[in-house]
Amino acid sequence: MRKFRLVAPFMTAVLVLTACGNGDGGDDGDADVPEGDGEITVTSLWGGTEQEAFEAVLAAFEEESGITATYESQRTEYASFLRNRIQGGNPPDVAIIPGIGTLRSLARDGSLISISELGIAQSDIEGNYAPGILDVGVVDDELYGIMVKLNSKSTIFYSPERFAEMGVEPAETWDDLVALTESIKEAGSTPWALGAQDSWTLTDWFEITYLKMHGTEAYDTLFSPDGDWTDETVTATIDKMLEILNEENIEGGVDGSLATLFVAAIGKVFSTSPSAELYYGGGFVGGIATGADVNPDLAGQEGEAIDWFGFPTIDGNGEGLVTYGGDVMAALVNDSDVAAFMEYLTTADAGQVWAEGGTIISPIVDVDTGVYPTVLIQAEADQVTSAEAVRFDGSDLLPGTDLGAVLQSALRGEDMGPILEEFQTATSTAWENE
Amino acid sequence: MTAENPPVAVSTTATASKGGGGFSWAALFFLAPAALLLLVFLLFPTVYTIALSFNRGRAGEFTEWTGLDNWIRLFTEDPNFLRLGFPPSGALWNNVLWLVFYVSLVVLAGLIIAVMATRVRYEAWIKAIVFLPQAIAATSLAVIWSFVYAPDRNTGLMNAVLGIADIGPVALLGNPSTVNWALIAVGIWGSVGFATVILSAAIKGISSEVLEAARVDGANETQIFWRIIVPMVSLPIAVVAVTLVVNVIKLFDLIFVMTQGGPGTSSRVIAFSMYQDAFRQGQYGYGAAIAVVMVVLLLPVMIFNVRRFRAEAVQQ
Repeated sequence: MRKFRLVAPFMTAVLVLTACGNGDGGDDGDADVPEGDGEITVTSLWGGTEQEAFEAVLAAFEEESGITATYESQRTEYASFLRNRIQGGNPPDVAIIPGIGTLRSLARDGSLISISELGIAQSDIEGNYAPGILDVGVVDDELYGIMVKLNSKSTIFYSPERFAEMGVEPAETWDDLVALTESIKEAGSTPWALGAQDSWTLTDWFEITYLKMHGTEAYDTLFSPDGDWTDETVTATIDKMLEILNEENIEGGVDGSLATLFVAAIGKVFSTSPSAELYYGGGFVGGIATGADVNPDLAGQEGEAIDWFGFPTIDGNGEGLVTYGGDVMAALVNDSDVAAFMEYLTTADAGQVWAEGGTIISPIVDVDTGVYPTVLIQAEADQVTSAEAVRFDGSDLLPGTDLGAVLQSALRGEDMGPILEEFQTATSTAWENE
Repeated sequence: MTAENPPVAVSTTATASKGGGGFSWAALFFLAPAALLLLVFLLFPTVYTIALSFNRGRAGEFTEWTGLDNWIRLFTEDPNFLRLGFPPSGALWNNVLWLVFYVSLVVLAGLIIAVMATRVRYEAWIKAIVFLPQAIAATSLAVIWSFVYAPDRNTGLMNAVLGIADIGPVALLGNPSTVNWALIAVGIWGSVGFATVILSAAIKGISSEVLEAARVDGANETQIFWRIIVPMVSLPIAVVAVTLVVNVIKLFDLIFVMTQGGPGTSSRVIAFSMYQDAFRQGQYGYGAAIAVVMVVLLLPVMIFNVRRFRAEAVQQ
């Protein structure tokens, strides 16, 4: 509960007293951006291949600007870690933030530097992104976070080889998907793997199903302060999900899935001894399935041993609608180095370098999809860029209330009426108290 | 508690200061370092936290006075903290479950093992084995038990054993009606050794004349246990119980590592809720209110402890 924040007032004083005058993008706005010291620190929760891919971007930035950018990885408890560093008066220069709820709360705490304060005009960078992408990082009409990477959350992973053996095919409609589930059971296998202990896997399920069933307008309202969780669209969506996610269709049953983490669930479909056939999750599933945590032997067999198909339409609705998740970057220190870095990351050059690493989809429109190293990611990038409308992961927009817990109850078959009423109360209180 | 020297030392100083009525610069000089440390690390944070619980507390600072809002929200609008009804649930209620079952079962099991162990030749071995979990850091203990409970038979010891009898697999940590019991069982496993060692030492302190007199009077072993041993070690039992109660109120690590309060929020405890709301969500004022609840729950335990120490000092 204690704080040792002595630095902030000094920083503010420095900010007021110092004028800017650097060449690398710090001088093209009307804000007073202090001169940097040639070094910046960037934090995120990536490790492994994701970290390597991002460090390639930092190296390219250093080559172009002469500013040294150091990456610090914090794999777990990221929000707590950021808040502690901020309160300790030692924030990283730039933080890549995975939850919009966290971004909003830090911005309202006064811990973030807005993009305009850095001397970057929103109108200058807007053209680099598909419409709506930048809006995700807006808090109280001010742009704080810029989307740096994203992943489709409308992909269902399977093994084409095993599908061929069973004589089944990917589904295009919900009814097809239900039929596919039945056929897999008839072929003697278990259809679905689910890692419901990581409750966000369920919120992903809910969001895409809701978007496909009820469209963008209802989706936007539900995940805003005006959202009504007792609405019948919510219960209808949950019922729809449970047509597939039930005791008979999930490997290990409902209780088993609730004690399984998502990587373990991916392993059930793609390990060397698979026990299920389908896994719904973000596009990043491909990278995990072919990585060291699951089955590195699959790398290079994309399109044969592992592939995905788009989440199906439901009752003829939802064609071309895609949910996606992503991370935004935000500045915690105001100086010319930080401004230069943020501006660099909005360019197609940076996007291109990053995309080559094969761990992300770049939100920047001018990045050529040909640079993505595997067919899985190329197809994912195509899905997102050619979508009729994309919507950001809704549970990441909520003010910290736990939709995942509600959906875990739904999975267990509990009476949803009182639970949703309670969730509605908690969520509206949380919106008010943000 | 059993050592003779410290209370004696206390009473000599008490005599030296002749009842301690007057003000003494020397006393202040010697007390100052300790008092300063208490002020900085105990009193100031406590007052700060209490004050913060009436504030929005953005970034841990006093940003906006909110009066009783945090408190009203905590007790009436936060089902994750407390949901009344039948059965009740929420973090506070889970702590009650822990308090009742963990404390009583640890004391009971410790007592039984201590009594049984005194009667066999390999007592030292039994006590060493029972005490072993005490040597394992709580986090490691939690990781070990996560593996034991894993629903996959290739990883989970419990389900591998149940699999022989063709039961399951069961996922105790994945089901809200079993998760708290599974966690309490781990807590008990981790603390029985502590109770055993302390109670065993106390039982050894009971003079054999008393036990023999009881046997001569015709008491059977059950009667000796309940009528002689338990009353004679009641003070050490209280010591163990108080320590366990404090353990329960500050309980965090097991929950954090094994379930993160889940599935859903069904295994949250007070300390976990505080961490979740303050440090993850940045609702420092609200988190401070939860922290104050912990302090308030600990107060009676502390008062009981202080009273008992005083009573002991008087007895000397």
